[in-house]
Amino acid sequence: MQRIQVSLKVNGKKYRLETPPNRTLLEVLREDLGLTGAKDGCSSGECGACTVLLDGRAVNSCLVLIGSADGHSIETVEGLQKAGMPHPLQKAFVEKGAVQCGFCTPGMLMAAKALLDQNPKPDEEQIRTALAGNLCRCTGYTKIIDAVQEAAKELRYE
Amino acid sequence: MSENTLIGKPEIRVDAWSKVTGQAEYIADFPLEDVHFGYVLRSPHPHASIRRIDIAKALQIEGVLDVITIEDVPGEKIVGDIIPDRPVLAQEKVRLVGEPVAIVVATSKYVAEQGGKAVKVDYQPLIPVFDPVQALEEGAPLVHASGNLVSHIEVQDGDPKAGFQEADLILEETFYVPHIYPGYLEPEAAQAQWNPDGSLIVWVSSQKPFHDRHLICQVLGLPEEKVIVRVATVGGAFGGKEDSSLAILAALAAWKTKTTVRLVNTREESLLAHPKRHSGQLHYKAGFKKDGTLVTMQVTSYLDTGAYASYGPAVGQLHSEVVTGPYKVPNVRVDTYVVYTNSPIAGAMRGFGAPQANFAAESLMDIAAGKLGIHPVDLRRKNIWRPGDRSYTRVRINQAESLQLSLEIAEKEYRRLKEIPASPGKVSGVGLSLSVQTMGLGFRVPDDSAHALEWLPDGRVRLYLGAPELGQGLMTVAAQITADALGLSLDKIEIALLDTSQVPDGGVSCASRMTYSVGNATIMASRQLIQGLIEEAAKLLDVEPAALYYEKGHVVRKDRPDLAPIPVSEITSRLAENGQILKRQAVFSFPYGPETPDHLPIGMPHVLFCFGAHVIRVEVDPELGTIEPKEIVAIHDVGKIINRSTLEGQVEGAISMGLGYALMEEMKLKPDGKWVDNLTEYLLPTIMDMPPIIKTVFLEVPEESGPHGAKGIGEMGLTPVASAVANAVYDAIGVRVKAIPIRPEAIIKSK
Amino acid sequence: MQSFNYLAPHSQNELCQVLCNTAGKIIAGGTDMLPQMRNLKQTPSTLIDISHISDLRYIQESEDEVLIGALTTWSDILESPLIQKTAPALAQAASLVGAPMTRNRGTIGGNLGNASPAADSLPPLLTLDAIVHLNSQSGQRQVPLRNFLTGPGTTDLKADEYIQQVSYKKVALPFGNVFNKLGPRQGMTISIASVAVLLALDANGKITLARIALGAVAPTAVRCPDAEAFLLGKEPSTELWQEAAHQVRKAIAPIDDVRGTQEYRHHIAGILTRRALQTAYLSLQE
Repeated sequence: MQRIQVSLKVNGKKYRLETPPNRTLLEVLREDLGLTGAKDGCSSGECGACTVLLDGRAVNSCLVLIGSADGHSIETVEGLQKAGMPHPLQKAFVEKGAVQCGFCTPGMLMAAKALLDQNPKPDEEQIRTALAGNLCRCTGYTKIIDAVQEAAKELRYE
Repeated sequence: MSENTLIGKPEIRVDAWSKVTGQAEYIADFPLEDVHFGYVLRSPHPHASIRRIDIAKALQIEGVLDVITIEDVPGEKIVGDIIPDRPVLAQEKVRLVGEPVAIVVATSKYVAEQGGKAVKVDYQPLIPVFDPVQALEEGAPLVHASGNLVSHIEVQDGDPKAGFQEADLILEETFYVPHIYPGYLEPEAAQAQWNPDGSLIVWVSSQKPFHDRHLICQVLGLPEEKVIVRVATVGGAFGGKEDSSLAILAALAAWKTKTTVRLVNTREESLLAHPKRHSGQLHYKAGFKKDGTLVTMQVTSYLDTGAYASYGPAVGQLHSEVVTGPYKVPNVRVDTYVVYTNSPIAGAMRGFGAPQANFAAESLMDIAAGKLGIHPVDLRRKNIWRPGDRSYTRVRINQAESLQLSLEIAEKEYRRLKEIPASPGKVSGVGLSLSVQTMGLGFRVPDDSAHALEWLPDGRVRLYLGAPELGQGLMTVAAQITADALGLSLDKIEIALLDTSQVPDGGVSCASRMTYSVGNATIMASRQLIQGLIEEAAKLLDVEPAALYYEKGHVVRKDRPDLAPIPVSEITSRLAENGQILKRQAVFSFPYGPETPDHLPIGMPHVLFCFGAHVIRVEVDPELGTIEPKEIVAIHDVGKIINRSTLEGQVEGAISMGLGYALMEEMKLKPDGKWVDNLTEYLLPTIMDMPPIIKTVFLEVPEESGPHGAKGIGEMGLTPVASAVANAVYDAIGVRVKAIPIRPEAIIKSK
Repeated sequence: MQSFNYLAPHSQNELCQVLCNTAGKIIAGGTDMLPQMRNLKQTPSTLIDISHISDLRYIQESEDEVLIGALTTWSDILESPLIQKTAPALAQAASLVGAPMTRNRGTIGGNLGNASPAADSLPPLLTLDAIVHLNSQSGQRQVPLRNFLTGPGTTDLKADEYIQQVSYKKVALPFGNVFNKLGPRQGMTISIASVAVLLALDANGKITLARIALGAVAPTAVRCPDAEAFLLGKEPSTELWQEAAHQVRKAIAPIDDVRGTQEYRHHIAGILTRRALQTAYLSLQE
């Protein structure tokens, strides 16, 4: 079976790996790198549980062919904490009760991070637009919106 | 005894940090070392007989360990939650698309899938039946040889016929509700490990580990001490994870191959093969007096339980109990038919028969209000249960005053929302509905919940929680109630892994019963733990127990007020040195006291109710027929708020699920004969589908048997949503929808 | 995922050679292709990943044209001031494709190649009389988009060709260009029907340019020439839009599917058209 060489930078760390080509970025993150934060909820880009950042943009890692990720920079939920300090989004999700079963949470956090990295002061509509691809069945989203607003405030040092 | 320091506080969830860092481990996240993967070969046919299963080719594939069929099951081949009707793997025939036929176990998921494709099953397709009414007709295809009727629940109270003669207005309406997918984000998963001593450890994502164990033992013919079930982080459940199928298959595969086997469903498998909320046709006939008095009601419901009964008979029963809504009706006749079809299996799902009834009953109340010329609020006010009333199943109504209170608040909100003008080009409408949801499993169904507490040498307390956290916040609420009862801070409580060999049986996490049952049991256990502590401390200090009392993590000497209070850790660490463990277990049994009458017209009535009211403002685009929820006010009687944040979270989440039920969700049989099997076609509400404003109002009318007066909330938030939306749509444009989801087509057609 | 032979050319030259020598299926962003491979609607034995060909991702303008490279993503398009100015309906459509994750990966070339009747980019591009530029070892070919789309999921693309770019002529300002879509839910939704219109008026307020295209109501995204011809030279009014909507309803051939019925599609196609025309007209009054 064909194997391809892939170089990835994941959460700042460089990886070089060899893999069959018929795999997704999500599978490689979870199975080869042991980064199981991104979840497989549908394998079809319909739920957003696998959201990671690719070159700073939110993507469904279940729809990124591993060969296509070659040479790119990836951020996952495991990279959100810096020097042991939680990201304001993580803190806000915890404090605002935006987490229930938690399965959508890593993807939701990464989609929210992509938003705040680009737009430090999103209004509610922009938050909804940014998170439209991340399904949550538990929370009704209300507290997720609160949490993103709260984190944005903290990031702006308000 | 309670200091009441923690009750009502929006404490941070005990599992939140592990979830925001990606550390929480769901089964699919477990390490991959020494794990084999199962591929479940599933039926492509809704109804077919199996002539032959040929596994030879699959077995030749390198990496395939084994292919397992029904022939390999050593114990019971057919099991069930209520009725044993479901083969572990298909036997002779398949009855639904997605029914498991064989398991291929291999070294990787890829090889397992290849193996699955190499298994050849020779099917002889049979004519399927998908409609529960047609399934009961003479000559309908038989889903099971025993016939398609699973159960007929027949209840009568008073004299319905006489009631109709008395009535000034008789209404007859038929309502249709769809099959609904629980839609938890984590697809079902299980991992089973075979040990050389012949025992099994089965990891599950489940609401009922002890019942999983029971079924696994039945299927494998093993004694219960040979099977340990452990609950991993559960990524949502909503009733759907009261199904043991995948846990049984994983256990069977591990047992047969003597290895560790992981099964993780794809979204397609989850949609097709795991239980749904029952779809149904509900025929209502009701008689009212001119002044609005509801005098009689006759309800005939056909609930489609799909290919296997699952919890269908119990769903039918609960449905029957609440068909009248929270109203006093002197004459009632109910016939509920739970019917086999070749649809996806329907079983437990949030509401358990109540959401279906609520959509019909609360729509009917508004229809009646219109015909009688009485305001919908006044019509309800006229008929709601009042303190001292009994339901038609002759159960005393608890906290009936909260129903009236809900209605009063709802009326104010209704009037407020009516004043809000519509957006340009839209028409605004406001709808209201009341609801009743039961708590607990029902009279005569064993409904115990056991939990234990251990005081550790370091002064912390370990809670052996006997029922799973599903995401709803059970661990947090249980820890909060325990910490409060022990006068400790929340961080002093740690929660043990739910392992059936280590924790007591807390029952199934379901039926809006957890805060109530677990809260009560942990308070009981806390008291016993303190008592045990005092006894042990007395021995160590060589004093009478009466000379000691407990306060906030310390033992205080009444006889020597000059001495500093002794930290509990000093006592428990000394006990540990002696090899002693300070641990107490308590069982809370759902109360079916003297209030429960002897001769009930129904088999297992629930005896505790939760009430609420929803008021919804929608905007309808009169040309496109689209409906946009703008504001929802959810009023709920919770007895006592334990954790406001998790409570709001339960209700807000239930509202989104209710909106899905009202507006977009449906397990639909497509024109090509296939069921929707992905999340592009089975639509769950996104963040953009939620109204800009959700307001929750909680009433605290204490239930005296509840912990601090608390009642359940798990299901209640969903029940009234669809009817409130339908009533709002009617208010907006005068179109009465009698089927959900309300599709814009239906609005346009009816106009 | 099924196995396949994987090729990842890094330049257009390399791609031409690959396509000349190998029968393979091209994958770009993967947002359509991977789900189709998952449910076995696509079973390529060779997959040609073009995502590494960096010079296929651009939005450029010449004096009279705008050129969009095949690998340009929806996010690129919706954020582009040039597109917002020269093709506002396309920017609008791009903002309504799936969810952000899809928009960050999905490409315009992929959307054209996939040729879903419900693809949101197609009606706006049709109103721009967009040209699809195809390339292969044997040379370049330019095909008007409306001829490029041959059926649901089928195009005029030859086996050895790839989509290089799509271009459109700039329309003289001022013009109104509006996209309108209705899906079965608000977020991350596939159109039940969609419409794009392009409208320009002369100094007397008479219609000098009218283009209408619809999605999800026929085997391909379609233009409505009769409605367009009807509008030319007339003065905008509510009644006129109503009549144009009526013409549009005659030009389409919707089907029943899980998202909507044929009847409903017929109904809303007209309403969406009427509203889009009115919005476009109002935008010209600003």
